Amino acid sequence: MLRFVSREAGKLALSLVGAMLLAAAISALAAPDAGAGAWHFLVAWGRALDGYAHLDFGHSAMTGAAASDELSQRLPLTLGLVFEGLGIALIVGIPIGLLFGAGPARRAAAPLIQILSAVPIFCAGLGLAFIAANLLHWPVPSGSGAAAGLVLAPHDAREMEALLLPVLTVGLAGAAATQLSLRRAGAEIAGQPWQTQLRRMGLSAWEIETVYAMPRIFAGLLNDLGAVMLALFSAAAVAEWVFNYAGAADLFVKSVALRDWSIVAPVLLAFAALTMIADFVGRCLAFPLVATGADA
Amino acid sequence: MTMAVTSPNGTHALHNALRVAGWIGLGLIAVAVSLSDFLANAPANATAIGPFLASPSPEFRFGTDILGRDLLSETLHALDATVRSALPATAVTLLAGALLGFVAARLPRSLARTVRGLVGILASLPALLLAVLVIGLSTRDWAAVAAGLSAAPFTFVRAFDRARLEERATHSEYARATGISGTTLLRRDLVYEFRDTILSSAARALAAVTLILSTLSFLGFGAVPPHRDLGLMIAAARPYFLHAWWMAAFPAAALVLLILCARLAAGLDEGERA
Repeated sequence: MLRFVSREAGKLALSLVGAMLLAAAISALAAPDAGAGAWHFLVAWGRALDGYAHLDFGHSAMTGAAASDELSQRLPLTLGLVFEGLGIALIVGIPIGLLFGAGPARRAAAPLIQILSAVPIFCAGLGLAFIAANLLHWPVPSGSGAAAGLVLAPHDAREMEALLLPVLTVGLAGAAATQLSLRRAGAEIAGQPWQTQLRRMGLSAWEIETVYAMPRIFAGLLNDLGAVMLALFSAAAVAEWVFNYAGAADLFVKSVALRDWSIVAPVLLAFAALTMIADFVGRCLAFPLVATGADA
Repeated sequence: MTMAVTSPNGTHALHNALRVAGWIGLGLIAVAVSLSDFLANAPANATAIGPFLASPSPEFRFGTDILGRDLLSETLHALDATVRSALPATAVTLLAGALLGFVAARLPRSLARTVRGLVGILASLPALLLAVLVIGLSTRDWAAVAAGLSAAPFTFVRAFDRARLEERATHSEYARATGISGTTLLRRDLVYEFRDTILSSAARALAAVTLILSTLSFLGFGAVPPHRDLGLMIAAARPYFLHAWWMAAFPAAALVLLILCARLAAGLDEGERA
């Protein structure tokens, strides 16, 4: 186990260094003389890297605020959206993955899930907003960020209704990735010889499923945690735009439009780092569920 | 809950049928796109064709928008614009993702692992944000290339991993043992890879880039008026769609149909990332 975690931690560290190099290169574009030639760009890149090593991400060219301050204001909103979306993804995705994993139920559900998978996030968000406004008579967020009534810990029904739309949009995108991971893990272990051996030993189908199959299926989901988080972040980026939610992805899009590279780079680094860390944590949690005695 | 003991083989026939349906759908879309000027009742962006914001009727089957444009004609023209941007983007994804991924796997081991790690970093970012970044670094005119490049890292990683498996296959071991050079083996494997997977890879890339391109246009980073694609049509409908649902519903349905057909043609699993 220790060897596995060390190896994965090494991979994570290398990936984080690579992401930092990329972010510093983007941040270097903000230097006034970065466009004056390759040498000037390399010098600016070196300076940006030095700043990143000291957690100094530079300052916004538009507002003059420290990039780290902007990020610390906006990132928690996105993280809140993503983690609340993760809750929905697990609540919806796990039953779908387990119940529609195989057999006639899957054949019946497959066309519907295919159609839902083809719906772009922004269309799904607008569809949910339409249903909420016209059928449920909920308020559809307008304005920007907190002005739109979007708070992560709602105090009343109105705030809850406003928050549910972006969270549902993000959660449903995560649910698609969750159910896929579970179905694939289920398909992988289906019909493996050890199941026949266990039945010959007198174990019931229920015991085999709950004690031996389920841990492996959930290990599959944990192994794909990075992919699930990536789906959630991708959905959050669009949901923030559709519902005027002032999170980090919204900040990213507006900063790119304004060519404010000092803000763009740390947001990109944060997204890459969070996905990589989720992948690392998922793999480490999955390992004990599938490891044999010798591996552990 | 019989997942663990039920074989998934029963779903193969369904997958094949869905794949054929996907190709038929793409074929019909190609026909509609190539005949869009003929099928549409009005040229692109022709205003005051009918009353403003008229709901669907026998005269205007998809209704009209705030400027009195016929939405059926506009949807056909926008579908044409979407497909025309998506095709070069698909080519970029196939070249920068599938082809380079396959070739990179045959580089010397340490170099191949380094390249795989670097592209893996890009693959850990949402493709949409990557596309927005590429457009920010260039111009909106490069939206198709940006969409292709942003979909490429994921395709690269998949092609790379498949090529590594191929390299360890029995035929590769025999070939190396009999003195066949790595370049010859790569050429042979590329021909077989191209023959066996080009259609499904292209359909998969088409689904991915269509999704990215339409979202880019929705965010204001893609198509520029008057050349409206489906994403831009939906973005323009945003202020009105709560009351005039048809303004967003029909372009969205066309977009979903295109992505769905490409996903089915690629044989993607339900919920699988394109």
